[in-house]
This record gives sequence, C-alpha cells and structure tokens, in this order.
Amino acid sequence: MNEYYLTIGLEMHCEGSLTNSKVFSSGKNEYSDLPNCNVSPVDMGFPGVLPVLNKQALKHAIIMSLILHARIPEYMYFERKNYYYPDLPKGYQITQNPPEECVGNGGYIDIEREDGSTFRVEIDNFHLEEDAAQLTHLYDTSTINYNRAGNPLYELVTKPCLHSADDAVRFLEHIRSIYQYCGISEADSKKGHLRCDVNVSVSKDPNKLGTKVEIKNVNSFSSVRETILAESQRQIDLINAGKEAEIIQETRRWDEGTGTTIGMRDKVDAEDYKYFVEPNIPPYKLEASWIEEIKASIPKLPYERKNSYINDLGLSPYDANIIIKEKAISDYYDECIKLGIEAKSAANWLTVNILGYLNKEFQKIEDFFITPTMLKTILDKQKEGVISSKQAKDIFAEALEKHIDPKELISSDNMQLNDEETIRTIVKDILANNEANVTAYKNGKTNLFQFFVGNVMKETKGKANPSLTAKIVEEELNK
Amino acid sequence: MEFNESTIDKLADLLMIGLTPEENKMILDEFAIIDKNIDKINNIKGIENIKPMTHCLDDFKCELREDIAENSPSIDDLLANCKKVDGREVEVPKVVE
Amino acid sequence: MDKTITELHEELKNNHVTSQALVDEAIKKSHEVQEKCNAFVTILDDAKGSDVTDDLLSGIPFGIKDNYSTKGILSTGSSNTLKDYVPFFTATAIENLMSHGCIPVNKTCMDEFGMGGTGTTAHTGVQKNPWDPTRMTAGSSSGSAAAVAAGVYPFATASDSGDSIRKPAAYCGIVGYKPTYGMISRYGLFAYVSSLDTCGVMTRSVTDAAIVVDAMKGIDPKDMTSWDSSDIHLYQDLTKEVSGKKLFYIKEIVDKNHYTNLPRETEEHLDNFMKTIDIVRSLGIEVDEVSIDQDILNAIASTYVVLGCAEATSNMSNLTGFSFGPRGEGNSFQEIMKDHRTKGFSSLIKRRFVIGSYVLQTVNQERYFKNAQRARRLIVDTIKEQFKKYDGLIMPVGTGVAPKLDNTDRVTDDELTPLEEHLQIGNFGGFPSITIPNGFINNLPVGINITGNCYDDQNVLNIAYALESKMNYKNQIAKEVK
Repeated sequence: MNEYYLTIGLEMHCEGSLTNSKVFSSGKNEYSDLPNCNVSPVDMGFPGVLPVLNKQALKHAIIMSLILHARIPEYMYFERKNYYYPDLPKGYQITQNPPEECVGNGGYIDIEREDGSTFRVEIDNFHLEEDAAQLTHLYDTSTINYNRAGNPLYELVTKPCLHSADDAVRFLEHIRSIYQYCGISEADSKKGHLRCDVNVSVSKDPNKLGTKVEIKNVNSFSSVRETILAESQRQIDLINAGKEAEIIQETRRWDEGTGTTIGMRDKVDAEDYKYFVEPNIPPYKLEASWIEEIKASIPKLPYERKNSYINDLGLSPYDANIIIKEKAISDYYDECIKLGIEAKSAANWLTVNILGYLNKEFQKIEDFFITPTMLKTILDKQKEGVISSKQAKDIFAEALEKHIDPKELISSDNMQLNDEETIRTIVKDILANNEANVTAYKNGKTNLFQFFVGNVMKETKGKANPSLTAKIVEEELNK
Repeated sequence: MEFNESTIDKLADLLMIGLTPEENKMILDEFAIIDKNIDKINNIKGIENIKPMTHCLDDFKCELREDIAENSPSIDDLLANCKKVDGREVEVPKVVE
Repeated sequence: MDKTITELHEELKNNHVTSQALVDEAIKKSHEVQEKCNAFVTILDDAKGSDVTDDLLSGIPFGIKDNYSTKGILSTGSSNTLKDYVPFFTATAIENLMSHGCIPVNKTCMDEFGMGGTGTTAHTGVQKNPWDPTRMTAGSSSGSAAAVAAGVYPFATASDSGDSIRKPAAYCGIVGYKPTYGMISRYGLFAYVSSLDTCGVMTRSVTDAAIVVDAMKGIDPKDMTSWDSSDIHLYQDLTKEVSGKKLFYIKEIVDKNHYTNLPRETEEHLDNFMKTIDIVRSLGIEVDEVSIDQDILNAIASTYVVLGCAEATSNMSNLTGFSFGPRGEGNSFQEIMKDHRTKGFSSLIKRRFVIGSYVLQTVNQERYFKNAQRARRLIVDTIKEQFKKYDGLIMPVGTGVAPKLDNTDRVTDDELTPLEEHLQIGNFGGFPSITIPNGFINNLPVGINITGNCYDDQNVLNIAYALESKMNYKNQIAKEVK
C-alpha cells in the first residue's frame, strides 16, 4: 500500500428524523411498523398536490451548512430530479442542484484523530432533499410503503480528499455526532437513517487521481471501512497484475457476504435527470437576521465538549473521546457534573460500568435505568464511607437488575460498619477465642494477621470497614 | 444529440410511452418547426445575458410552513384508487434492481 | 338559467324560484348540451339545491372543469390515464367556492390535462361550439366555455396556462377571467405547466366573474405560490369610473398594414377591434398604439411550446397507474407503466412529452429550455416596461371566429402567429387578463382582451366592466347559427 496513494470521496445521506412533519408536506415524520399510516396526499403524488417547504427542515440544513463553513446562498432554490422508479411517486425527487444553489456550497470541517492530530475534509456541497418511499421485495411482487416518502434527507458530498479508511470513518462518526448534537437526526444506522456512497481511487502519483470507482448504498460505518479496504486492494491488485485498464469508472456495490465489491449492471447510458428549477417553490430569501438567529442557536458541539472535559475537568483525551461520541452519553455525563459528582469518578463510572453494561445488553443510554441522580446517591454514600467501593458496585448492579432506586438498597443492614467500639468488641472476642493463634502470631507467624481480619469480616458479613478493622486488630494484637 | 427517429424512440422509451411510426414522424415534423422557431429566440441579441425566468412572479415573498404534522388520511382513502393492494400497501410486480 | 348571478340571487331571495329548481334546470340543460356539444365528463344528476342565504352564490348551480380535484366525484382531467379516478380531497379553490353555498352540477370536458387549444383531445371525444357545432370552442376549458355560453348555469370554473380561459371565452361569446397568478390556490388543480397554470372562471358578465373569483381566491398554506388578497374585493370595488385610464395595443399585431396576406375574416376582426377601441376612448380612456420589437413577438409561441412541453412531461410523471388510474398490463413495473401511459395519453400529449424531454436533456437545456426561460423574461420585462405608463394592454383575441373542426378554414401563416398566441404573455408574466365579447363576424362571436400588471386585477376588471356596459354582448346566450 505504501507505494499507492489512496483517495476517497464520500456522499453521506442522513434522514432528518427529528422534524415533526415531512420536508415538503404536512405528513407525519415518524417511523411506524404500520405501512402507510403517516402519509399525506402530497407524499403519494396524487394529481394536483403541491410541495410546501418545512421551515424546520430548512433550519436544520442551515445549521449543518454553518457548521461545515459552507457558503449559504442568498436565495433558496429547489430542483426536480426526474426519473421513474416505483418508490418515487411524483416521478421526480425535489432536491438541490447545482452546488452554488445548494444550502451549503463548498466548506470544510476539521476532524480530530484519537492521537490528537487533525485533518481537514473539504466539502463539495450540502443539500436538502426528500426521501423516497420504501419498497419491500416479496416472492414475485414488491410493495410500496409511503411512510418514509418525503422525509427530509440531507446529503453531504465531500471532495475526494480523504486518504485512509480510518479517517473516512472518523469523519463519518463526527458528522453523525453533529447531527445528533444539533437535534437534526437520531442518525441511527439501525433505523436506516444513514446511507453512504463511497468513491475510491488509487494512484502511484500523489498528484494525480486514479480512476474513480463509486460504491453505492453502504449502510454502516464498519461497512464503509471494509468497502474502502477491499476496493482499494482490488484496484492495487489489478495494477500490480498489469491490468490497470480493467479499473473503469463504474458503480459497484458492497457485498457483505463475500467481503468484496461487485460491479453493478451498467446502464447503457448514464441517466439524464433533466434537472430544472421546481416552479412551485418560490425562491426563498434567506434573511441574514434569520441565519444569525440560527447560528446563535447551535448547541455546544462534540469537540467543544471534549476540550472542556480535558481542559476544565481534567479528563484524559481517551475518556473524553469516548464520552463525546454520542450526544446522549455526553449529556448524561454533563448531568453528572452538574449534580456535583467528581469529574474523574463520573467519567470512570460512565466509561467502564455504564457503557460496559450498555454494550453488553445492546441498550441505549436513554433507556438506562440508573439516572445521574441515582448514581450520585451511590457515590455520595461511598464518599461518606457509609458503603465500600465493592458495595457501591453491588448496589449499582442490584439496582439495575431489580429496577430499584439505590436509595432503597442503602439501608441500615447493609451499611458499612464504621463504629470503632463495635468493631473493637468483635476483635476482642475473636482474639479471646483464638488464643493459640494469638500466641503463634506473637512468636513471629505474622501472616496470621489476615486470619483475624478475615474472621471479623465473616462475623460482620463483610460490612466492617476494612482499614479500620486492620487498624484495630493491629492495636489489640500489640497490646 | 441529433433529433431523429431513433432519438425519438429512445426518449419515448425513457418516458415509458409507446409511439406508432406515424406519431414518430409527426414529432419529427413538429420538432422541426420548434427548432426553427427556437432559432428566432437564440438570435435575439443579448439573450444569453438574461436570467432565466423560472417562476411566474418576480420578487415574490412567501412564508415557509411551520413544522406541524397533520394526520394521515384513512388507509381506505389512500388506496381507494389503487387496483392492486397487498395489505396496506400498493403492489407492483417484483422490482428487480 | 340565462340570468346573471345577481339576478338569480334576487329571484331566490324573493322566492320566485328555489335552489332545487335551478339545479334541476341546470341538470336538464346539461343533458341537452351534452347531446349537442359533448361538453361534460360527468353530470351530477343527484345534485341537491342548497339553502339560500345573503351570499350571492348561495343556491346557484355551477360547473367545474375536470382538472379540479373533487372529493367523491370522478376527476379525469379528460384523460384515459385517470378515467376512473375518484379523489378523496377537493381543490382549495372549489372548497372556497362551495363554502358560499353554490352547487356543482357537472364536471366539464377539456383538452387532456389542459394541453392543446382545440377542445378536441378529451378522452370523451370532440367538443363542439354551441354557436355552431361544426366549429371548435378552442381549449383547453372547452366544456366550461360551451356550458356557460349555452346557458347551463351562470358560471363554471376553468384554468388557463396559455389562453385556455380567454380564447374559448372569445369563441363562445362569453367572459373569461384569468386573475393574477397565485391569487387563487392551485392546490388540487391537476398540474400542466406549473409556472403558468392559473385558476379562473368563465361567466357571461364581468360582474359575475368578479363575484366568483372573490369566492375562489385566497392565500392557501398548501400552495407556496398563492398570496394574500384579503384586501382585494373585486365585486364590491367594481366601478365604471375609468376615465383617465391609459391602455395600449401592440402595433405589430393589430395594424392591418403589417400583414402581407391577411385573411378577410381576420381583417374584419381587426376592424371590429378598432371600432371597440373607439368605444374605449369614449369612456375617457386614452389608448395608444405601441411598437414592440418583432423578434420578441415572434418568440412568444415557441417560448410557450418549449416551457409547456418541458414542465408537462415532468408534471405528468406521477401518472403511472400504480396507486391511481387504471393498471397497465405487463410483467414488470416498466411494462405496466408503459402500457398505462401508452394507452392512457392521447397522441398529442405523447408527442409533446418527447419534445419536452428532449429540451430538458442536459446537453439541450441551454439552447431550448433555458433560452425559452430567458425569452420569457424578456417578453415579460418588455410588457412590464409599458405597464409603467399604461394601466393595461388591450388586444383582439385570436385571428377571428372559432375555426371549423374539420380544419378547412385553418390558416397557418407564420405572420399570424403573434396575433393567434399573444395571450400567452399573460401567463408568462402572471398578469390578470380578461376576455369579453366585442361583436360578431358572420354571426359568430369574437372577443377582446384586457391584460394588466400583476396584482392589478381590480383595474383590469373595472375597465372591462365599463367597456361591457357600452356594448350589447353582456350575458348573451349562444344561438345556434344555421
């Protein structure tokens, strides 16, 4: 690979799942298992319907444009992309084209790697469009469900400027987190919110791009990584075998089963989409005051939070990176800090215990039973010395398992025993009942010390404060 | 792309319409007139410097729609005109990629 | 039914007639006109009269062009692709209108989806002119024009993308009014050329046109191109006080000397126009002859054809037969869609689709589509420049009377094209434009048109209203010419 220069361009589609209604109709934007229950006449393309642009969807697109440092045009135009497919009820998709008329034209975003280094991704354009209906393929029929038809869809097109699969995935993960942080989309691959087209080329000359191959509809980031690795290797192998001519500009698809890219049946001619301006949506002037208002409303983004975790709270970059990856997790952490939990302790609990549990159980933090307030209760009691760190973990696990507020579990019968008087009485009893061992200890068999401590623990069912117990045992033995 | 009989058939095919040979010939004749007339437009001095008029009313101010969802019409209404229905969905022959 | 809305309202209020009697008469008359002219897709035989209120439109029957979506009523756009389509929602304009208590009694024929100016391409057959069944009504609002002219009811809704209201009005001797683009919502109007399509009305008097459009108009959250006209009250503000207004006509189109080979009938038509101009002047209106660059006038018709074909081919891409309309036959979605469209569209539409798709191809857009859009602006700017000085443009409609259906008298002379097609200017600019009858040639009606600047509907109607009152063609009913 060293002698080859890999270049990647990405087209990332993200469904805007967090508007109430669709982008050009008042149909409900909501996932449902029931087909055709969130449909307006507009979404099915009945004769006479007209598109009406959703202000919130446009606002979301402008937020992204601002974050991507893209140029926002003075007027918003939409275009029709004309083609026939059963999932496209009007026979055209309302989208934006060319780049200078897109809600975001050009721009860039800087991405941070885990080691602290950064790289810049150049943006070609960012635009707002409508999603198609969903086809379900059965034995010899297909069925059309229009629930998804007309949902807002944001497409981000990068320049061919990425040079490794890892960087490509870092970029995608960061953009996904921005969608989540800004409340634009859940950006959940499992719900089909994210779809990527990947352009890959390899070249021996770093100043010249090789032949571009497009791999369409790659639906998870891990697949994007594998696609890039497999496709670049395929191209390198061809070049090495002297078959460079076999790398043609084409569209391929990623085949999960074989872990390879497969050429798609080429259409005789590239489809001409006959783009033209949508006459039913008047040019909409984007007032500078509105853009400013939107700019001011952008919440703290992942990198800002990360920097504040590292610089203000003293977290390690490693922990900070883990916490910011998902907005909900970062929100959970911020809530912990707000409640006054010590920063490092909160980070430790979150990254080890909580995320460990969520990953194991395939759960989302939004559905996690232990709230930051509950976590604080446990940690406070530990800090006060009322419970041991082991007990803290046990209570955490029990609360989670039984869905009981930890408060209920920290009662008198499981509180740590810290009363010196009580412990001393128990220690005295034990020493009195084990005279032979006391003598042996005093004659030099010092490892018997743990035997006495262990007996105290047994007697108190593990509740005696261990360090206090050790101290008292030592005092009594040395009397 | 020259406008000839095979262009016409290709375009018609992409438009999912079938043409008779007579219709094909008529299009050829009708287009010849349009082509001649379009030259009249293209010969207007300075035409290339004019901004294409894409909408009917210039300087038109419109409001965007507030993000409020409306309830879906009943499934009976949505599918009342559909000739092939499978459950709550529109059925078509299997779409092969 | 040969009365105006205000007259009928008076009779209803005074209990001289009931709403049900009017509806019954309109239905009866519909069947007669259907037999004679083939004007309807659907006659609503079960239509019921309604309560009579103080609203001028209450209790009065009317017709709806078949490209308006009407809930529970067959709405075909006169196309086989929608020959069985019964919508579950009603166009905003019709909802607005019906909220005034008027009663639809039929859906009127049209050139398929509004495309074509002859009234001959409806899936239900050729439309005939009530003045002379061997002649066309022109289109596309052919059925609405014939029905109103024949006295089925005082008004019918229509739509206009090139001259689809205003030319049939002239050929049928009635009033056709296309308001400013967006004054009436297009939601539920089957799209033909979205950037030109305008809802409007056919009536037999300017007053009735004002009353009906008052009831149809209004900003609609479902149509982004609609605008708030709540401060416009066309009927209430109608006045004959038009002295001091200024109009112009286009010399290159109206001047007889400009033509090398003028048909006699057209010459009479132009003479008649100039006589009407004298009447206009007698109202205290100044009328000037203005010269417009011939290149610009020559561009009108081809601009319309290119824009029309292009937008139409895209607009009608929803006609697949999958979720509405008859299902095509075949084994793949492509086959059944192609079968649906091949069987469903008339030859004219198919031909225009091919042309529309060609002019939209990336490699051809500059030469055809974009240049047509540029020519559109040039034409509009040229006319708007005149509107700085004038209240409106006054012009003869077409080259004369309604042509014969068998085309025997059809003149296809290039130099007559601007005269034939200049009403398209009104659609290019979204201008309010009204045709009123201004006389007869060989016992067949001809019309005159007044077009004003955007949003200036009141001015246009007032001039037409004043002029109408000085002529004898108000509320005329078609008398068959033998």
